[in-house]
Amino acid sequence: MDSLSKRTVLEGLQEAKAARTQVWRDDLPTWCPGCGHFTVLHGLYEAVEQMKIPPKDLVLVSGIGCSGRFPFFIKGFGFHGLHGRPIPIATGVKIANPDLTVVVVGGDGDGVGIGGGHFPHAARSNLDITYILLDNSIYGLTKGQISPTSPVGMKSATSPYGNIARPLNPTTLALAYGATFVARTFSRERDKVAQLILQAIQHKGFSFVHDLSPCVEFNKLITYKSVFESVTALPDDYTTNERTRAIQMSESTDPIYLGLYFKEEIPTFDQIVHEVKESFAQ
Amino acid sequence: MTSKKNELSIRFCGIAGDGIVTSGKILAGACAGIGLEVMVNDIYSAEIRGLGKSTTTVRFSTSKVYSMGDGIDLLIGMAAKESIAEVKDVKPGGGIIYDSSTPGDITEENSLAAHIPSEAHGYGIPLKWLANEASGTNRGRNLVAMGALCFLYSLPPDMFIHRIKTLFTRKGEKVLEANINAFQLGYQYCEEHFPLNHPFEVKEGLSPRQLISGNDALAKGAIECGLKFFAGYPITPATKIMEITAKELPKLEGWCIQAEDEIAAISAVLGASFVGKRAMTATAGPGLCLMSEMINLAVMAEIPAVIVDVQRGGPSTGLPTKVEQGDLNIALYGGAGDSPRVVMAPSTSEECYTGIQLAFDIAEKYQTPVIFLSDLFLGQRIETVFIQETIERDRCTRKKPSPDQLNNYLRYKITDDGVSPLIVPGEPGAFYTITGLEHTIRGTPNYESEVHTMMTAKRHRKFESMVVDLPRADILGDKDAEIGIASWGSTIGAILEGMAIAREEGVKSKLIKSIMIHPQHEDSFRAFFDSCKRVIVPEMNYQGQYAALLKSRYGIKPMEIHIPAVNPVSPLKIAEKILEANHGLSK
Repeated sequence: MDSLSKRTVLEGLQEAKAARTQVWRDDLPTWCPGCGHFTVLHGLYEAVEQMKIPPKDLVLVSGIGCSGRFPFFIKGFGFHGLHGRPIPIATGVKIANPDLTVVVVGGDGDGVGIGGGHFPHAARSNLDITYILLDNSIYGLTKGQISPTSPVGMKSATSPYGNIARPLNPTTLALAYGATFVARTFSRERDKVAQLILQAIQHKGFSFVHDLSPCVEFNKLITYKSVFESVTALPDDYTTNERTRAIQMSESTDPIYLGLYFKEEIPTFDQIVHEVKESFAQ
Repeated sequence: MTSKKNELSIRFCGIAGDGIVTSGKILAGACAGIGLEVMVNDIYSAEIRGLGKSTTTVRFSTSKVYSMGDGIDLLIGMAAKESIAEVKDVKPGGGIIYDSSTPGDITEENSLAAHIPSEAHGYGIPLKWLANEASGTNRGRNLVAMGALCFLYSLPPDMFIHRIKTLFTRKGEKVLEANINAFQLGYQYCEEHFPLNHPFEVKEGLSPRQLISGNDALAKGAIECGLKFFAGYPITPATKIMEITAKELPKLEGWCIQAEDEIAAISAVLGASFVGKRAMTATAGPGLCLMSEMINLAVMAEIPAVIVDVQRGGPSTGLPTKVEQGDLNIALYGGAGDSPRVVMAPSTSEECYTGIQLAFDIAEKYQTPVIFLSDLFLGQRIETVFIQETIERDRCTRKKPSPDQLNNYLRYKITDDGVSPLIVPGEPGAFYTITGLEHTIRGTPNYESEVHTMMTAKRHRKFESMVVDLPRADILGDKDAEIGIASWGSTIGAILEGMAIAREEGVKSKLIKSIMIHPQHEDSFRAFFDSCKRVIVPEMNYQGQYAALLKSRYGIKPMEIHIPAVNPVSPLKIAEKILEANHGLSK
């Protein structure tokens, strides 16, 4: 990139920052221009502004990877933890102080690779936290190795003869694990991303947003163009209260459906903890 | 047999269903009830299967019991075949109770009676027939044996009956009555058939003593000093701590979760501590391995946390139900980079109780992980203790920023003692992000050499400044002795008894013991080592992990005793080494 366009990107960021003094921190995002993560950051800004969550009550927990830097870019407390471990860290945060709004941000390697053992347990416990998984089907921060969501046959530095294992589908997993709010978004659709992140944070219980967030630098197979050509909104007559149907729809790869797959209200983990504690307080 | 014994060690040996653990509880409870000092150690295999062998040894005395000692005075063989291996532990003049109601078709090879050595007394008692007479079933054989030992050592039967009532009243009148009958039949049978073995000297008027395990004491101490969050994963021999916190914390506005693995457990602990709660986990060696990366993060991001490791035999899954002190190295050094952490090791149940409270104070005040190394023998054994009711005192808390400091808040502000003022989520005025990346005083990731040098020094400076808050080492034994012993953890008990044995042989020794492994009051240790001509470092591991630390820290050349342990250390073995060291001196 030449110096002119670099300056333009910086200027653009400065402008955006000036318009969002309530949520934007001092630090500027470190992502590559065009990265899908900007859209999710925008969505988070919108949600936090709209819900008027003061910085003291917001905790962002992230893992390692490009998405790990989110907590540095938004006004609030942040815990940039270890690779794969943001969910259990957030579990401790939320149980220890249920008044906080807790949002976990992580990538595909973080959430269904190294940290794949934690996701089911947060979902089944229905702890009232929000988990946004930014899926670019590649390890970006280590410069382009296959991830657990990479397609079969994808070549990379660590799969020179093509990826052999079939990809995991985070949306399907969340549904199977018992998450009570499951949505899939695409970073090209700014307003829809913002809208679903807002709904996810407002949801009482474990909410999951699977964002398709193409890596513009290292993934030559899954790009804005390729994703754009395969996605479509969930049908108009789709209802969000049937888990089995949701799982079926989520497995479709042609087309890939976007939108709110499933939502149900059941008692949250923290509500039940509160009730047990109250029973002793009397 | 005119002199009275003031110390007895009695072992029940059997298979599951023989009531081995219950027998230990009744005997220990009865002894504690009449004010004796008691220590109980259960040994069992890692398999749950119905026919697994288990033993309970109860050692009691009119004076302080520091260890399980050497040898036993009475073996009660509830299962003949399994008990044969225990015969070698019976002291000369000791007794062996075997079931004489066993049918005659048993082979000599499997007969306990056939294995009784000439220097021991054999007591054939029809345990099964008498149990049947009492209850109509084979259950209650252990109580028949209990009645027998009560007579043989002329212990007061009232206290046994009292304990039996305490344990069995909730099981209904019928069961209770059958058990008391079984006890009495055993007592009467012995009275009719055998002379007294050796009367035990019971002192009148002692107050009943409290019996507690190290794990119980530790959990109690943690809860009383404000523990509000516990996360763990079941692992022998630490699980009991989680079970207690699961029950008790919700009553005190806290909570305990059983996480999906040890990594999740320590992650949740750091999450809870991040928002200001006193948080802890408890595990054993394999769990500590899994937690290493997260403890490393706690060092880097300066998050208070207490990590208990109830050590068992290793490496790997190792010996889940056997004791060893093999985790000192991973506790001290198990992290990437320059990763200092506080390491503590209690040596008694009392120290589990008081020490864990100190662990929290250090963790909170100095924003650091503290690894608390208990061990299987210490955690699971039951002993009589003096635990004072909690004294209300000022607990160490996290340093708060002044209003000025809050205005321009710096999470990692450089200070003289290395400790930065801290606010937590939910508190207004400032916010920050913590990270495992190297960072500036504000918390922003930064990889410059000056920043890394400054922050590394800050993290280490805390260890220099915390020393003023740490207890000094205790020096026990003969202060003028030339032979000095340094050790840690539950091995201390056997050493104290070994020192007493050596002293009877005319060889004096002294011991330096500190609950603090790192950091230590180094001047105390230096002065101690300077005053010794020989230093002995006994510990339950092959590598001599504590000895290695002392050698590198103090430049000493100790005589090391490395015992890759399965059973608690023998006081006699320690005494032998003291005598050996003395022999070397006098040459």
